[in-house]
Amino acid sequence: MEDIQDGLIAVVKRDCPTCELIAPILGEIAEQCGPVTVYSQDDPAFPEQVAGVIDDRELEHSFHLGIDIVPTLIHVQNGAETARLIGWNRDEWQEFTGLESLGADFPENRPGCGSRTEEPGMQYRLVARFGNSGLAARRIELPPEADLEEICYERGWTDGLPVVPPTEERVLAMLDGTRRAPSEVIGLIPPNLIECTVEKVAINAVMAGCSPDYMPVVLTVIEASLIPEFGLHGILATTNAIAPVVMVNGPIAKQIGMNAKRNVFGQGNRANATIGRSLQLVVRNVGGGLPGEIDRAVFGNPGKYTFGFAEDEEDPHWTTYAEDQGFTRDQSTVTLFPGDGVTPIIDHMSRTPEELCESYVNALLATYNRRQVNEVSVMLVIGGEHQQVFYKAGWSKQDLRDYLDERLVIPVRDIVPGRSGLGGLTEEEKADPDRLIPKFRTGNFNIIRAGGAAGKYSAIISAIGSKTGLRPVTKEIVL
Amino acid sequence: MSTREQILLDPTAEISPVMTPHIARPGSLDGLTVGLLDIAKQRGVEFLDRLDELLSERGITVKRYKKERFSKLAAPELLKQIKEECDVAVEALAD
Amino acid sequence: MHDIKGLETLGVPSVGIATTEFVDAAEVQSKYLGYNTAVVFVAHPIQDRTHAELQGLADKAFEEIIGKISGG
Repeated sequence: MEDIQDGLIAVVKRDCPTCELIAPILGEIAEQCGPVTVYSQDDPAFPEQVAGVIDDRELEHSFHLGIDIVPTLIHVQNGAETARLIGWNRDEWQEFTGLESLGADFPENRPGCGSRTEEPGMQYRLVARFGNSGLAARRIELPPEADLEEICYERGWTDGLPVVPPTEERVLAMLDGTRRAPSEVIGLIPPNLIECTVEKVAINAVMAGCSPDYMPVVLTVIEASLIPEFGLHGILATTNAIAPVVMVNGPIAKQIGMNAKRNVFGQGNRANATIGRSLQLVVRNVGGGLPGEIDRAVFGNPGKYTFGFAEDEEDPHWTTYAEDQGFTRDQSTVTLFPGDGVTPIIDHMSRTPEELCESYVNALLATYNRRQVNEVSVMLVIGGEHQQVFYKAGWSKQDLRDYLDERLVIPVRDIVPGRSGLGGLTEEEKADPDRLIPKFRTGNFNIIRAGGAAGKYSAIISAIGSKTGLRPVTKEIVL
Repeated sequence: MSTREQILLDPTAEISPVMTPHIARPGSLDGLTVGLLDIAKQRGVEFLDRLDELLSERGITVKRYKKERFSKLAAPELLKQIKEECDVAVEALAD
Repeated sequence: MHDIKGLETLGVPSVGIATTEFVDAAEVQSKYLGYNTAVVFVAHPIQDRTHAELQGLADKAFEEIIGKISGG
């Protein structure tokens, strides 16, 4: 609180009809009770009835006085506030000022209006400017004319695309998206194993373009990425093309407007586009994981900028991926899995599950290499119209899985030295050329649903994977 | 707004200083080659000519370079050439 | 200043020379770049000087330039 002078303080704005109404009353008080300090939030010429109105268009005084309604009348004694009135009430004002006939011909009661300090987003701006946000991050002071987007490039904070400059005001707004304290440590971010706080996540989420209501999802994404089975360090450092892929299940996906349907892996949806990017920026900026340095990818893939979507959970007959992992439909979850790209399976003709599966099996067996069974994992994404084929035939997701598992096998004789050849096969397996080896012996073969309702497509998101690391991980989003 | 300093919050681990210090100096110019880069403003060349003389008097090898235009950044190829041919560099003269 | 940072990024210790008119601008630029560039300032103006005066400016700045570039 700033030092305040003894006497009366009034805070008003011209835009408020109640303030307009009582303007002559402020004049009367000034005349009869001695000096009244009047702060005007929008027009320093208002009210005309009082001399020496203080211009508070910047709202510094209103902020320090904690004004939420105008008009507010404050009584100050010995430098401290002793009483305050909001709005207009004749009896109250008469008692407050000791002027018995004050406003005798005015209406008895008029509610006030919202103070300009209550305008959307204003609190963050005012705390950033005049208050103490309590945030711990280092402040980087820049000249008024500095181009902040360019600064972010100069400092090496971006993935190559522009970022939203992380001003204190925006970070405060972002932190309002979570109940968790800014200082809470989320975990150690590879490769440099740096402690990452909720605040640092918020800063990077601002830069990624997130809206504050994504924060619970973003925080869970970061936490899930640190589950050892996911292998974030490996995903970052590998020469492979893989990137973390973010899938969201449960009610929150709809609440924040994520896309599970048309163009699901494409552009155009803010949440899909920015949540995955937050993880990438945290790894880059907090963890120090830079391409060309620790990131040794030969090709990489566009998903390394961002790759996020929601699973299509609309049809109740099939379980969702999250349900398969033991969660309920009422729980919101984040699933992270490595992915190096999307391969469509185009089948416009098949009308039965068996026919469709013929296409799926041939596409899935070809993942990476028709004769490779090691270190290969996939998410099979069943598109909208293909889903209908299974629903109509009464196939459950498990029916589809069982049917495919039986056919996704390769005889030992066909497994040739490729990526890692026969490595990983037991001597017993190798001894029998007719023995059938599951294509996805890593166990990383999963089925999810997403995509537009019209068009007979499914898709494969492939990745390297193993039995122990580089596996999908799922974590509940706690609001 | 436009007259106020702007503030960004640091998104990094804050391991590196806000201001990166300049890189280490060689300690002495003995036996080194100094690149003189003319930013291509009028009269700057006279100043550089004099530096050239003073350096040469001390037995220091000097190489001369010139930017295309003072208001433009030096071309990456030019910087690379200086790196290949010189040990240290002096750029003049902004006025 | 950008060029100086660029050269130093390539590993070439560098110093820039500007007139005193640029003291503030150089500080702002340095802040903008987040890089502590070495600058030697000579008296403004330049354009209306005689040739001898320009040489004098160079003579006067010479030791500082040597100092900032060699660190010795």
